[in-house]
This record gives sequence, C-alpha cells and structure tokens, in this order.
Amino acid sequence: MFIYQKKLQYPVKIANTNPTLAKIIISQYGGPNGELGASIRYLSQRFSMPSDQVKGVLTDIGTEELGHLEMVGALVHQLTRDLTPEEIKKHGFDAYFVDHTVGVYPQAAAGVPWDALTINVTGDVIADLTEDMAAEQKARAVYDNILRLSDDPDVNNVIRFLRQREVVHYQRFGEALNTVQEKLDQSNVYYMNPAFPMNR
Amino acid sequence: MNELNDPSREAECGYKCGSLRECAPLAVGAVPEQQSAQPRYKTEKALVRGTLFPGLDLPLGNIVNNSAADVPTAELMAIDFAAHDLSLYLDTHPEDREAFETYKDLLTLAREGMERYSRLYGPVCKTQLADMDGYTWLKGPWPWEYTGKAGN
Repeated sequence: MFIYQKKLQYPVKIANTNPTLAKIIISQYGGPNGELGASIRYLSQRFSMPSDQVKGVLTDIGTEELGHLEMVGALVHQLTRDLTPEEIKKHGFDAYFVDHTVGVYPQAAAGVPWDALTINVTGDVIADLTEDMAAEQKARAVYDNILRLSDDPDVNNVIRFLRQREVVHYQRFGEALNTVQEKLDQSNVYYMNPAFPMNR
Repeated sequence: MNELNDPSREAECGYKCGSLRECAPLAVGAVPEQQSAQPRYKTEKALVRGTLFPGLDLPLGNIVNNSAADVPTAELMAIDFAAHDLSLYLDTHPEDREAFETYKDLLTLAREGMERYSRLYGPVCKTQLADMDGYTWLKGPWPWEYTGKAGN
C-alpha cells in the first residue's frame, strides 16, 4: 500500500506566474513521456516480474515517479495561480482554461489527454525493462526541451532535478536488466519468458 | 574546470565509468555496472544535483543547480533524498555492506529530521499525530502551495 508524506521530494517555489510555460510543462504531468505514465507503467509491470530485484526496482522507482507527478503538478499549479481572464487570453491559456479553469489535468502540451496506450505491460521482463529504459530517455529528452524553452530560473532549477533522476533511473533499470539476463540461458536468452515457462 | 570535469580523470576507468562483461550473449542490452557507492555528494549537494553519485551526474550543457529553493523542509528533503538514491543503488547492489551501513545512518538521521520538522511545522506522516495535541494533519500550506510574490 501507499502512505502519503506531506512534503515534496524537491522544493517547488515559483515566484512568477507564466501560463505559457505551464502549457508546456503539463506534458510531463499527463503527456506521452510524462510522470503519470512512468508511475503507472512501473507500478503495473511489477506484478509479473520473475525476480525480487526487478520487483524492488520497479516498486521504488515507480513510487518516486508518483512524487515527480506531484512536483510537476505543483509547477503547473504555481505557474497558473492568480491569473486574470485578460492574462489567460493574452498567453493563449484560454483553450485549456475553458475546460479545466486552473485545475491540473493530465494531458500533453498539445491538449491530448493522458492515454494508457503511451505505456505497455508486456509481461516479459526483457521487453518491459527495455521499455522502461527508453521511457527514462524519452522523459530526459522532454526535460531537455523544457530547459531549451524556459528562461525561468525557479522552474529550470526543478526541471534540472527531474531530468537528472531520469539518468539515474536509466542506470538502475539497466543494472536490473543485466542481472535478469545473466540468470537466463546464456546460449539463448530468448529461449522462454521466465514469467510464463514453456511447460505450462 | 572542477575536478569532476577533468578529461584526464574521465579517460581512466574511474567512478564515471562502470564494468561490462567481457563476453556476453548477442542481441541483449547492457548498461555498465556502477562499481561503488563512492564517491558520494553530501546530502545537501545530492538533493540540489538530483543524484547522490558524482559519476551519474550528467547535466545538459553542464549547467547545474547550485542551490534549491529555501523551504522549511529542505534539510529533511536532503536526507530523505540521499537515503532514497542510495536505496536505489542497493536495489541493484544488495551485497554492498558499506553502502548498507551508510543507508542505515541516513535512515536514523531522516527519522530525527522528521521529528524535528514535525514539532515545528506539523506532521509529515499521519503516524506522527500519535504525539500531537490535535488533528493538525489538515493545516496548510500543502506541499504544492506557494503564495509568494505573484498576486500578492
């Protein structure tokens, strides 16, 4: 189960509102490479994993991603606080505002709602961990792009933290994949899926 | 140039590099294994940089954070973060006794830090309400709230 800790993993304290930036950053809340997908992906893949190490890595990183989802939500919330209708129109935030006011809704920057089709659970440890490594790189690339588009130092400080976590997670998923593969038949690592043996 | 960016150090197989199997089956992905939980940043720097490990600290354009926003939870965040990042290392290096002893020390510090923080600002976890005079769980600000400069 999960128990909430009433604190963020890393401080989010944005001095200036900026709805234009909020429209971009919301992609890491509910976009195709965002933190909602990351957490649901890892926490769902756990169930069919063949080793305790992979179960642990997916549980711990998936839980951390829920904390990142909260941080990105905090960014969007703080970037859109105290806006006037005039500011909303001026910054092109009106298309979002009309459906969500200044609530935080899981969608991509282009307005597409979060979709479970952006993730997979194949039930195959090599396929899943390889997807997880790709997911960390995709999220890292999005944070790179946010840093290219944003000139707000308060926002960039938080984005750099989140970006670095993708690098660390990539390393851990890679190490977990090494361990899993070393336990498989070295003459043919694809001989079978250890979560669904041949003789079943 | 600081010592972490020194190309002569990166060239050797030091803490910025890891080990790979000499002979491995074809058509499998592999990532170099982190060899040691050292060197490590201090907890405050680890939080600011987003990792406990200098070897994994790979910033875009080498532009790095030098500080995090000043908040009451900062000290607790730093200890908790260092402990968490070390636990991810332990997930893939469970036999590293030195790392485990350090992890235990960090957990002790985290427990003390959480008690100190909650006495001043209220509970972080609901279990801390066992030692409190009233049901202070609901008292804001909540973690995502900041009502500074803008609008005021």
